[in-house]
Amino acid sequence: MTTSPTQYAHPEALVDADWIEKHQNDKNVRIIESNEDILLYDTGHIPGAVHIDWRTDLQDQVVRDYIAPDKFAELCSRNGITPETTCVFYGDKANWWACYALWAFRLFGHEKVKILNGGRDKWKAEGREMTREVPKYPPSNYPVPAKRYDKEIRAFADEALAQSKAGKPLIDVRSPGEFKGEITHMAEYPQEGVLRGGHIPGAKSMPWKTATNDDSTFKAAPDLAKIYYDQCGLKPGTDTVVYCRIGERSSHTWFVLTYLLGLENVRNYDGSWTEWGNKVGAPIEKG
Amino acid sequence: MYPPKLEAIISLFESLPEIERRETLVSYADNAKKQEPRPGETFVLEDVRKDEECADTVGVYLQVDDEGKAHFRMTLGPEVQTLTRAMTAILCKGLDGRTPQEVLELPSDFVTRIVGAELVRVRSQTIYYVLTRIKGICKVYLDRQRMAAVA
Repeated sequence: MTTSPTQYAHPEALVDADWIEKHQNDKNVRIIESNEDILLYDTGHIPGAVHIDWRTDLQDQVVRDYIAPDKFAELCSRNGITPETTCVFYGDKANWWACYALWAFRLFGHEKVKILNGGRDKWKAEGREMTREVPKYPPSNYPVPAKRYDKEIRAFADEALAQSKAGKPLIDVRSPGEFKGEITHMAEYPQEGVLRGGHIPGAKSMPWKTATNDDSTFKAAPDLAKIYYDQCGLKPGTDTVVYCRIGERSSHTWFVLTYLLGLENVRNYDGSWTEWGNKVGAPIEKG
Repeated sequence: MYPPKLEAIISLFESLPEIERRETLVSYADNAKKQEPRPGETFVLEDVRKDEECADTVGVYLQVDDEGKAHFRMTLGPEVQTLTRAMTAILCKGLDGRTPQEVLELPSDFVTRIVGAELVRVRSQTIYYVLTRIKGICKVYLDRQRMAAVA
């Protein structure tokens, strides 16, 4: 049995709105908005925040993969980010894409990362200042990362299959209907081209939303421990793979497990169900 | 091919560089609230619902004047995405004054000419949603007209 934590393993990975307001002019801090709603940043954002788009900025535009290290260096440089900059991510959808962007930054080894707890929704609900002014920062000279940390925090399909065959923890963070194979897309979303429904054999269903409160903040550490230790059976030190449909909801859970519960060896299978549900011969369980 | 008001909007967007296209879309999105029904207005059909394809409730209200021309009002829930809000304002303005039959026959290929390639992605397919709903209410109106003519 795992001892229930009384506080987050890495409380420094979360900041609140007051922290943001205090650090808005801190040159060592860059606030980054990342959303699902493509134009949301343009309608207003936290003063000083830059916009990083999950698809056009972080993904390769031809191959289904992330940008190469040199492109990451360019992205950071044009936003005035250096390896010493603390990047604070926030966004819509309870920080799905903020966590996705944070995870992508970690892929390139950027270590100083934080999430604004509650994201854009909470900031706006509290009536905090928003602006349409797009900030300009002097370009930095971010060095090209020597490697991408795919092996450490990312799982590919063959690794997810190995995880399944070995009976190691696989957490499916999609909705129950998607997990059961009753639907092949989230409610309220278009079909993203998946041919088969269900889940990876052996995966446990724990929707991402279970980890959040109604105001989009993360639940307290003891509650998270109950969910992931007691209900999912996760244990510190055990390899864990999380997945959803394209990797954004599972980034949220990856953040919870890695930073809030402090689990090591958690990897995000970002190919997720849009890969697995189309892959010829991939084993699938339903129900 | 397209109604003149809509054609003018399409031409405007096609002439804009990407940054201004985004700004103009946001400006239209800001104006979506102006498409809501006004006090005292009456409609021949109202269709307010929340579908799976859209993040929040969308209401479509159809008014057909004595000349058979359609006028649309729309309500959008707070979770509706910015592009969908923009398309709402664009379509209410661009299709105003056309007959329901003309609206129903409108091809949807103009949507990408307005939104631009960079903003069209799988998750933003709901840009077509508003047009689908507007066509839907026109179809119901025309079906009822035909049934009434037969009766």
